Amino acid sequence: MKSTLRSAAVSLVALALAATAAGCSSDKATGGSEATGPDGVKQGPGVTDKTIKLGIATDLTGVYAPLGKSITQAQQLYYEEVNQRGGVCGRTIEAVVRDHGYDPQKAVSIYTELNNNVLAIPHFLGSPMVSAVKQRIESDKMFTIPSAWTTALLGSKYIQVTGTTYDVDMINGVQWLMDKKLIKKGDKLGHVYFEGDYGGSALRGTKYAAEQLGLEVFELPIKPTDRDMKSQVAALAKEKVDAILLSAGPQQAASLAGIARSQGMKQPILGSNSAYSPQLLATPAKPALVEGFFIATAGAPMSADLPAIKKLAEAYSKKYPKDPLDSGVVNGYGGASIVVSALEKACANKDLTREGLINAHRSEANADDGLGTPMNFTYFDKPATRKTYIIKPDEKATGGAVIVEQAFESELAKNYQVPVGTF
Amino acid sequence: MSSLSRSRMSPLQLAGLAAVLAVMVILPFYAEPFLMQAGLFAMAAAIGAIGLNLLTGSTGQLSLGHAFFLAIGAYGYVYFAAEPDSAHHLSGWGLPTPVAAVLAIALAGVAGGLFSPIAGRLKGTYLGIASLALIFIGQHILHNAHAVTGGSNGREVPPLEIFGFVFADTPELVVLQVPFRALEKLWFLNLVLLVAAAWIARGILRGRPGRAMNTIRDHEIAAGVMGVPVARYRGAVFVLSSMYAGLAGVLLALAFQRTVPDYFGFILSLEYLAMIVIGGLGTVAGSIVGAVLVSMLPPLFTRYSDALPLIAASGSGGLDAAQASRILYGAVVIAVILFLPGGLMGLWMRLRTSLALRRKVRPS
Repeated sequence: MKSTLRSAAVSLVALALAATAAGCSSDKATGGSEATGPDGVKQGPGVTDKTIKLGIATDLTGVYAPLGKSITQAQQLYYEEVNQRGGVCGRTIEAVVRDHGYDPQKAVSIYTELNNNVLAIPHFLGSPMVSAVKQRIESDKMFTIPSAWTTALLGSKYIQVTGTTYDVDMINGVQWLMDKKLIKKGDKLGHVYFEGDYGGSALRGTKYAAEQLGLEVFELPIKPTDRDMKSQVAALAKEKVDAILLSAGPQQAASLAGIARSQGMKQPILGSNSAYSPQLLATPAKPALVEGFFIATAGAPMSADLPAIKKLAEAYSKKYPKDPLDSGVVNGYGGASIVVSALEKACANKDLTREGLINAHRSEANADDGLGTPMNFTYFDKPATRKTYIIKPDEKATGGAVIVEQAFESELAKNYQVPVGTF
Repeated sequence: MSSLSRSRMSPLQLAGLAAVLAVMVILPFYAEPFLMQAGLFAMAAAIGAIGLNLLTGSTGQLSLGHAFFLAIGAYGYVYFAAEPDSAHHLSGWGLPTPVAAVLAIALAGVAGGLFSPIAGRLKGTYLGIASLALIFIGQHILHNAHAVTGGSNGREVPPLEIFGFVFADTPELVVLQVPFRALEKLWFLNLVLLVAAAWIARGILRGRPGRAMNTIRDHEIAAGVMGVPVARYRGAVFVLSSMYAGLAGVLLALAFQRTVPDYFGFILSLEYLAMIVIGGLGTVAGSIVGAVLVSMLPPLFTRYSDALPLIAASGSGGLDAAQASRILYGAVVIAVILFLPGGLMGLWMRLRTSLALRRKVRPS
């Protein structure tokens, strides 16, 4: 009893002391008011007279580390080039890179930090991470480009999903398979997909296309931890599918293609954009991937015949000679250019606040940075483009992939109603 | 050990406790939001770790399913508190939030109770393997029971509201000229609940149940001979530990503001095990120290990486902060297991005993 009394007394004293101490000045008390620079430009968080800070919340140690690294390095390359040209609005761009290791909790902490000191987040990797802070992005008005292409992230003014969503890619892809006579009406598609919004988004597209084109769909959900596709291949063989669709990771792609081909299955395989990475060509799965394996993606491959991409490939290989030229490079570079062109517009409006930045961005109806994916940013309840490239692995090409079909928008994809904020 | 732990707190300890409390109370007035956010996670984790320590540290029952019960607390709270949302096909009970929080904790307890026929019969590592199944069941439910969990998108967490006081950014409360937003308000809530949770666990460990639990851990047959109903105790501790996890889950949900299923995976369970091993098995203070270390170390490392020597900036190719913190984290776990079987709290105890001995020796 005595000890309880004593500890209670001590706690009270502690609280009293604490309260007194807290009364003293704290720089938290001042609160961040928006300032105006000497050049008359209104400045938001992360903007000073000399610098503009941009946040990169990426994965450098988790499952998507290779992708995160490519995107991050490509963005840093872009900012370096911009700074060499004299920066934006007379200010140099400074990237604040943070690694969340594909852990939502770390991502929330990182976002809280970035919210304090950056103007926008041109690269935020992973839909679970972006979903975790979606409401905060809205209330903080943080212009964010997620590196995830699910329809679940559509519908927010502040979140710009670049390129197509997974469902649109699949619709265009299935249509392309029909056009090329690789499948015909009444055929059966086997779709192997990750449970969750990535696979779910893609499957939705497949089902829509199948319904419109008179095809059947055999659904085969898997988990990211399933690496050996033996039983999936067996199931696909048993169902006698005429084409295989794949919305999973590169490891699954290698396993699935390798096992299917070794068992003499000759069906075409069509993957979502996250199902392939050029590193696969260095594995024993290579022979299986160079024949009859296609990827539907909104991003042009590094081998595309576009001056901007050629320049990028050269600059990137010069700066990071050891790193592969995968789809993340074009993607990250493109994301950085979207934010920088919004910054330039916002600067012309003399408003580098978060509100000013997003309004500048949303006024762009025909953004084309020469990287092969023109987009419209004036709406956010639909994908910014519905054009999909069909590419295929090729070990001789820069970046390990070549274009099979130039970007196109099928009639089906044009009329497709995209779900918003869900999948 | 037991004679030490049964002793009353010494004045020195009391002063230490008071100092820690004072710092915790002052912090929200100065710390940047990033630290507040990380601190919220750490305090919630500490409550969860205390629960796991009761089970694993004190009773010797390994559980790999702790993340499952955290998820029940988090999602239970959201489900009970949220209004049904027909536009997104989400259901909910729309209960007052404190009621929802209590129900969520109770639900975690019930889930633990349902598992207790297994938890009561299996011991040690066998329970660990059995509880591993819970993680996979949990992940499947979280991803697929869309109406309840929101699927992979997760669900928005309604802010807690107690007698009209809302734990959210608005309305903003100004205390001593410092604006109190969600983070600061939740900080004090977490602090109060952590102190309460620690105090209850301490009471259990120091009383009759605590001794029974330790006996079960050290010698099951001896416990049975002395009249301890072993299976019932094991089941009951499992329920208690689940309820602690439930509370931690509710607080995590409030700190996240949105639940995401991917968080409640196997890795999370392992992190909680790491917390209690690093901190010290079987002690309340150890759980708290371990939880703070495990959940604060990686974010602090990345945050202040610019100021640390030998660490390259993220993305620049060298050993970056995140990698460094992982290596360090692994090294700490290995070092603790190899050299400090009692964890950091064990080290503290040993230091104290040796100091006390030296002091006793000197005057003579």
